[in-house]
Amino acid sequence: MRERKKSSAVEVSSVKKKKEKKTKDNNEPREQKEKEESQSIMKQQKNTTSRSKKEKQRKATEDYQSLRESELSGDEVHGTDHDVDNADDHHEEDQTDGSEGHRGVEESDSSEDEVAPRNTIGDVPLEWYKDEKHIGYDISGKKITKKERQDKLASFLANVDDSKSWRKIYDEYNDEEVELTKEEIRLVQRLLKGKAPHTDFDQYADYVDWFKYDDALHPLSNAPEPKRRFIPSKWESKKVVQYVRAIRKGLIKFDEPKEEEPKFYLLWGDDSSAAEKANHLAYIPAPKPKLPGHEESYNPSLEYIPTQEELNSYQLMYEEDRPKFIPRRFTSLRSVPAYENAVKDSFERCMDLYLCPRVRKKRVNIDPETLKPKLPSRKDLKPYPVACYLEYKGHKGAVVSISTEASGQWFASGSTDGTVRIWEVESGRCLRVLEIGEAIQYVAWNPLPELPVLAVSAGQDVLILNTGLGNEEEQRRVKDLLHVETPTAPDDNMASIVSWLQHDKLDGIRLRHFKVAFSPLSIFSCIFVLVLDLGLVEDHLLKNLLLALMFTLDGVFGRMASQGRLPLHVFHPTRSIFFVSTKKNIRVYDLLKQRLIKKLETGLKEVSSIAIHPAGDNLIVGSREGKLCWFDMDLSSKPYRVLKCHPKDITNVAFHRSYPLFASCSDDCTAYVFHGMVYSDLNQNPLIVPLEILRGHTSSNGRGVMDCKFHPRQPWLFTAGADSVIRLYCH
Amino acid sequence: MDMNIETPEDQNEENSRRVQVRFKTKLKPPQKVPSNSIAIPSNLTRFGLSSVVNNLLQAVNPEWKSEPFDFLVNGELVRMSLEQFLLAKGISAEKVLEIEYIKAVAPQKEEEPSLHDDWVSAVDGSNPGFILTGCYDNLGRVWKAGGVCTHILEGHCGAVSSVNIIKSDGLKYVTVATASKDQTLRLWKFDAEELVNHPKKIRSFKILRGHKASVHSIAAETSGNMVCSGSWDCTISLWRTNDSDAAGNQVSIKKRKGNNQVEEPQLEGEAISTLVGHTQCVSSVVWPQQETIYSASWDHSVRTWDVEMGKDLSDIFCGKALNCIDIGGEGAALIAAGGSDPILRIWDPRKPGTSAPVFQFSSHNSWISACKWHNKSWFHLISASYDGKVMLWDLRTAWPLSVIDSHKDKVLCADWWRGDSVISGGVDSKLCVSSGVSIQ
Repeated sequence: MRERKKSSAVEVSSVKKKKEKKTKDNNEPREQKEKEESQSIMKQQKNTTSRSKKEKQRKATEDYQSLRESELSGDEVHGTDHDVDNADDHHEEDQTDGSEGHRGVEESDSSEDEVAPRNTIGDVPLEWYKDEKHIGYDISGKKITKKERQDKLASFLANVDDSKSWRKIYDEYNDEEVELTKEEIRLVQRLLKGKAPHTDFDQYADYVDWFKYDDALHPLSNAPEPKRRFIPSKWESKKVVQYVRAIRKGLIKFDEPKEEEPKFYLLWGDDSSAAEKANHLAYIPAPKPKLPGHEESYNPSLEYIPTQEELNSYQLMYEEDRPKFIPRRFTSLRSVPAYENAVKDSFERCMDLYLCPRVRKKRVNIDPETLKPKLPSRKDLKPYPVACYLEYKGHKGAVVSISTEASGQWFASGSTDGTVRIWEVESGRCLRVLEIGEAIQYVAWNPLPELPVLAVSAGQDVLILNTGLGNEEEQRRVKDLLHVETPTAPDDNMASIVSWLQHDKLDGIRLRHFKVAFSPLSIFSCIFVLVLDLGLVEDHLLKNLLLALMFTLDGVFGRMASQGRLPLHVFHPTRSIFFVSTKKNIRVYDLLKQRLIKKLETGLKEVSSIAIHPAGDNLIVGSREGKLCWFDMDLSSKPYRVLKCHPKDITNVAFHRSYPLFASCSDDCTAYVFHGMVYSDLNQNPLIVPLEILRGHTSSNGRGVMDCKFHPRQPWLFTAGADSVIRLYCH
Repeated sequence: MDMNIETPEDQNEENSRRVQVRFKTKLKPPQKVPSNSIAIPSNLTRFGLSSVVNNLLQAVNPEWKSEPFDFLVNGELVRMSLEQFLLAKGISAEKVLEIEYIKAVAPQKEEEPSLHDDWVSAVDGSNPGFILTGCYDNLGRVWKAGGVCTHILEGHCGAVSSVNIIKSDGLKYVTVATASKDQTLRLWKFDAEELVNHPKKIRSFKILRGHKASVHSIAAETSGNMVCSGSWDCTISLWRTNDSDAAGNQVSIKKRKGNNQVEEPQLEGEAISTLVGHTQCVSSVVWPQQETIYSASWDHSVRTWDVEMGKDLSDIFCGKALNCIDIGGEGAALIAAGGSDPILRIWDPRKPGTSAPVFQFSSHNSWISACKWHNKSWFHLISASYDGKVMLWDLRTAWPLSVIDSHKDKVLCADWWRGDSVISGGVDSKLCVSSGVSIQ
């Protein structure tokens, strides 16, 4: 194969030479002509093979078949065969004396490019053109029309006449008759004989050693390097020297004594370590039998031997309590009898092993202290109310409600004995007693310090009373405010709900409320009290707001009133938002848009009190079962934290206005003070730390502390007790 | 007497150690013991030591009547047995111990209380001739010794919260100022020496208006020309006290309104300046020197004000709402203040870099409503508390020297009178006078 390639490589140049020759001598004899012929045929052949090789081959074999038949059939054919042989020989001669490059021409792949195929229908079967007048297209896209076919007879006759007809092959593809040259015939014949198609190819040529040349300096040899050429490594020897020195100095030690494995093992030792080594899934060692002691000895000391009395006392014991083994003495080991319980003991031991529960008890070893949340120390959260230093005594009934004045100088308290008292904080002096006559439910001081007005709800009325504090000018303004021109033109909406009257005895206004279907603490009173909280005391403004409120909340209140419950409520300190509690939930209303914004789900049995943080984003809700919920309005409608602290009902909750404190008071006669820090950083959740339990009130009629309020400026807490005492807890 | 001394010594002979002591004193010769050292049992308490000293005095002077003494070791009063005291203070008992003795300070006598119609809210005893009290029935009263009310100051329409004796013109006329919860201050003038059979009602000659809330406290300048007042409106106002005659010949900023009423002319005055800085009620003011005012407030701070500049010089933060303040003690510089907790605190503003109190007395059980230094002694002060007790303190011991328990309810005010009496008024509407406090 290699030679062949070689030859073809060599031939490329020779082809060119040949071509030059061709141009030079035109007067070459038939030989040359033949050559040209064969050349063109070969090209043709090449073409056809490239088109559809298999088809071509098949056709060729058919042709040759027919050729053979004809060979066998006629002399002429014989003669021609001869002729062919001759021609073959001649050609061989021709080949030998001709130039070496000649033979490669037929093989040259580039020959295909020289003559473009005539028909260019692409790789499609010719049958498609069977019924067409043309057989395809030439390279310029013009149709190649089919030649007029001779009828069979004529062609047969022509074949018979023509001596060369056996050489002719019809090329269906190009629709033409091709006459094979002698050269081609010879080639075909050689192929049929199973020889190499080219005569000049010597299958058994001598081997040419291409790599042999005379001046070879480096003979190619596979001999291993002789030992004499070995050069020892300098660095290795240095390393060896280093090691040797280290060994001499004793830095490297050989023959270190191996750690001796203990020959003996602890027979009675614990198996647990061995169990861990044994990598079983859950290997639990069997319980150990009790080890024999001194008393099991055949000759125990005297103190182990029970006396007769002891033996007798054993008889009095219960069978379970009796000692299983009674030590005895034997003079020698020989006299020890067989152990009568041996079988029984070993059986029991087996039963123990078999029946004992082999379960590893998982014990979670957690220090309960670590489970507690990390809370800051109470010391760091000072100041907060700790101790009671002042008591305000004077009421004769349970004190229900208290309210502090904005500056913190006075506070008012309302009691079930029908009086409202105004107290001085610092001295504990009762400045005024306002006899209302009905049990008070709620008192509220006007948050505006320039108008010392008190709102009181008692019975079904709301009273707005002058406290009589402040200087003359303030008193004058208060009197103006509290003056009602008696026959007020009945406001068409308001008239049905409320009437404004001058209070007959006290200096103030009585708001009489006509819808008496509601609970004693009328809706109106609570709204009104809180309207005062808002500081809206302009008369018409107030009425308008009340109207708006009434219509907004009528549905809620109506439903709650039908349940016989008191509506609890609180205003947002800065925005026009209003919180009303239903039995279990808190509804948040926007007063300007007059619609429900949000509904807070407390998860409590019954809400008893609510209070809002002065910043307005947090709300605490106390419940009847003693739970306290902290809502973060920004977080969700579920409580941020639920504190279960009071064993009894929470009666009231309160936030401090400036300190981070809140408190809850309960019927269990205690008030709890908590640290409730709300951070301005929205990412930080409020910090709630229980601080102090304030005790001191006594229970009365099952009620404890009824109300708690923080001092507006000091970290002090007022608590109103059912025991008719008000206490002030200071830091 | 001999027997008295012998008995404790006999008893303790076997089981107690003895210490070598030498008594010394600054008292005058009749009370001076010989200065040679003697050995006494170490378990003697103040009472034992006192009887030893009395015994020694009696040995020198047979007519000596025994009286109680108090004992100082290294400037501290002995308040337990001598042995315990030495152990507690780490004083060696090997050397001769020098014990200084002073007269025991304790009230000797409870005088008959002067009854008021309502709570006694303020008292001033700075004039030895009389006691001035303020009461919740809107009246001020002047009391002579022996519980005789000589004058009634009538005019306020709110409870009198603070009273102050400003000055006495010569000997006869006395000017006093009262502050009230009706937001005004009133100045009064009366003849203290006047002998009357029944209380004489007098009216104020000047009304000072300007505060926007109840006035809580009043204090007069040392010369008596000005008063300052602390109020619930968080300010301290300064007022001139001079009446119309004095004001006529000097140029003053004050605008006067001659408000001629039917009986007698009443002047009205306005504040000449206002010190702003406190954030809550100014509960107490004192004006011990011409140029500085000290104030205590419910905003938990004690401030020192420069009168000329009208600014606060320093600020001591206490942590509790304060009710009372007084200046006195060593160099008249220590600040004593009490408030909304049972602890009486004493600061030394001269101590640099700290605002921690130098003394804390915590024997009371409730809010402290008043505290007053003795005007002569460096060590003694009284405090009144809502627990109904007035306590007499000595800076040299942490225990009260004596507890005056004459009130039945809250004590609202207390003061010294004549240097040897403690006067106090309270919720039980009584003015109690405990006399015989011997402070040299």
